[in-house]
Amino acid sequence: MAKKVIEVKNLYKTYFMEGGNSYPVLKDINFTIHEGEFVAIMGPSGSGKSTLMNTLGCLDKPTSGTYEIDEQIVSSMNDDQLAEIRNKKIGFVFQGFNLLMKRTLLDNVCIPLIYSGYNLSCQHEKAKNMLEHVGLGKFIDRLPNQISGGMQQRVAIARALINEPTLILADEPTGNLDTKTSIEIMNLFTELNKEGKTIVLVTHEPDIANYANRLIYILDGVLHYDGKVSEFKGKK
Amino acid sequence: MICNMKKATDDQKIHMAEAVFRESWISIKANKLRSFLTTLGIIIGVCAVVIMVAAGQTVSNMINESLAGMGSNLLIIRPEFVATAGVKGSGMTIIRTDDADVIKKIKHISAVSPMVNGAGQLVYGNENYAGSIVATTPDYLSTGNWEIEKGSMFTDRDVKAASSYIVIGKTIAKELFHDENPLGKTMRIKNVPFIVKGILKSKGQGMGGMDQDDTVLMPITTYRRRVQGTNIPNRVNYIMAQVDNENNIERATKLIENALRESRRLKPTADNDFRIDNMTEIQETMRSVGTYLSILLASIASISLIVGSIGIMNMMLVSVTERTREIGIRKAIGAKNSSIMGQFLTESILISFIGSMVGMILGIALSQIAGAVLDKNVPISLITVIISFSVAIIVGISSGLFPAIKATKLDPIEALRYQ
Repeated sequence: MAKKVIEVKNLYKTYFMEGGNSYPVLKDINFTIHEGEFVAIMGPSGSGKSTLMNTLGCLDKPTSGTYEIDEQIVSSMNDDQLAEIRNKKIGFVFQGFNLLMKRTLLDNVCIPLIYSGYNLSCQHEKAKNMLEHVGLGKFIDRLPNQISGGMQQRVAIARALINEPTLILADEPTGNLDTKTSIEIMNLFTELNKEGKTIVLVTHEPDIANYANRLIYILDGVLHYDGKVSEFKGKK
Repeated sequence: MICNMKKATDDQKIHMAEAVFRESWISIKANKLRSFLTTLGIIIGVCAVVIMVAAGQTVSNMINESLAGMGSNLLIIRPEFVATAGVKGSGMTIIRTDDADVIKKIKHISAVSPMVNGAGQLVYGNENYAGSIVATTPDYLSTGNWEIEKGSMFTDRDVKAASSYIVIGKTIAKELFHDENPLGKTMRIKNVPFIVKGILKSKGQGMGGMDQDDTVLMPITTYRRRVQGTNIPNRVNYIMAQVDNENNIERATKLIENALRESRRLKPTADNDFRIDNMTEIQETMRSVGTYLSILLASIASISLIVGSIGIMNMMLVSVTERTREIGIRKAIGAKNSSIMGQFLTESILISFIGSMVGMILGIALSQIAGAVLDKNVPISLITVIISFSVAIIVGISSGLFPAIKATKLDPIEALRYQ
């Protein structure tokens, strides 16, 4: 059995409003993701999948329950420790790419390395290699707005990969892309998965989810389905 | 080159600090105009403070220089205003040489010089010059803080004998005698011949920029008999009395007062018909005027510094808001709060540091130019440098701290959603 990358146990997330009302968003979520898996998280709007995504990404803390990455208990960590986990263990890919628009592609890919304490020449060398890996070796000195959306997402993927994270967390990575580019990006993810990367993909498009091998379906804050994508009967 | 992460943590911290510094510098460069205008606020502020401090110190120095021209521990005995025909302050009492003789016998008094001031045309050969005449006694060297450069001072015997010996200032020696040696030469003052016995050491400009070296010193008796035609013999303008020790000034003042009241035969109920001014007190007051002036000028100038630092804070706040999304991205990617804080603080410190240094250099340059134009020696003081550096740090931190804290408090989830 492969190594556990993520383990979520009895995870609850409740928002407490002023006036004493509380809204449970995630209720008793349990699952484990092993190294090399390609998992899609799906669910309708308001189901709590974004909250789950933020929690898995260590941007948000669960109200109760435990969350482990690489057998480290994340749910009880402080802000600085979480920042370090985000820096070293997680590679984010966002829907809106979230690149720094005034900085070159090379600089953008370097940012995670800044916060891990690499020196400048190391940063540049690694970032250059990674941009070549995603097929953008010729464009390292361009600004994000000088290249296409698909290319920007490749830069974001390069940035996510640069620190060799345990987990790639992609939030609607094709949401801003046309079909053809979406297919290219998803093929890139598939390739990365074949290289052994663990990928968690949040999407609401069944076509995109099909690239994954496992599906976690969230409905009304509850884990509704966890199994092979092909066996999911759909829930609309 | 192999880039592995099995390095010392210290190295990593240094690299991180370097990188954070680089990020700050890049963002300053990215908004060149805005950064320049913000820096300009600090430049003007520091420049103004530096110039004002220099101006204040120059004035202080001028006051001190001219005060140094006076003797120390001086008491000045002057005539008092009195009422004549019922009009207050319309007349003056008379101080005489006899009063000086009385004062001279008092304990703690080390030198007394009765003073008569005049002016007149000085002639030597074909040259002439309008000089000022001080008729006094040899004690004036001490009370007036003069030194003899060449020759000697006339003596008490010269005063008694009303002899024709005079001592001349540097300017007169130059204007009348040029390269000749004036000692022993005969010159004329208001057509009366005098023999130059000594030359005074130069004192330079006195208060109000007047030349003090155009003075002729002569025995008071000689002046009365041969130069001045007055119907009140023995009258003097004022008497300078020097006290042996600073601590005895008050006691000496009291003794002089009593002695003069007695010698002038004042009734116990009558007011003094003379005044005793304590020059030491006046000197102290004038010195503190210089100090207060410096402080006042610097405080006025520091208002512009405050405005400049508000400029930095404003820019940093705008910058934090503008870069909310960038902050979100950086945090999501692994920037710790300390890194975000460091980036924004470094930015404001860099701006205020550059502004302060440029302002300091500009301020020193401008005050030196002004000094050269006005022919005044403007000091470059350590205070200026200290002020500039502390402004650089204090303003940088104080105006960057609040925006930087604001940046670190941003929730990455919210910040990433920000458009």
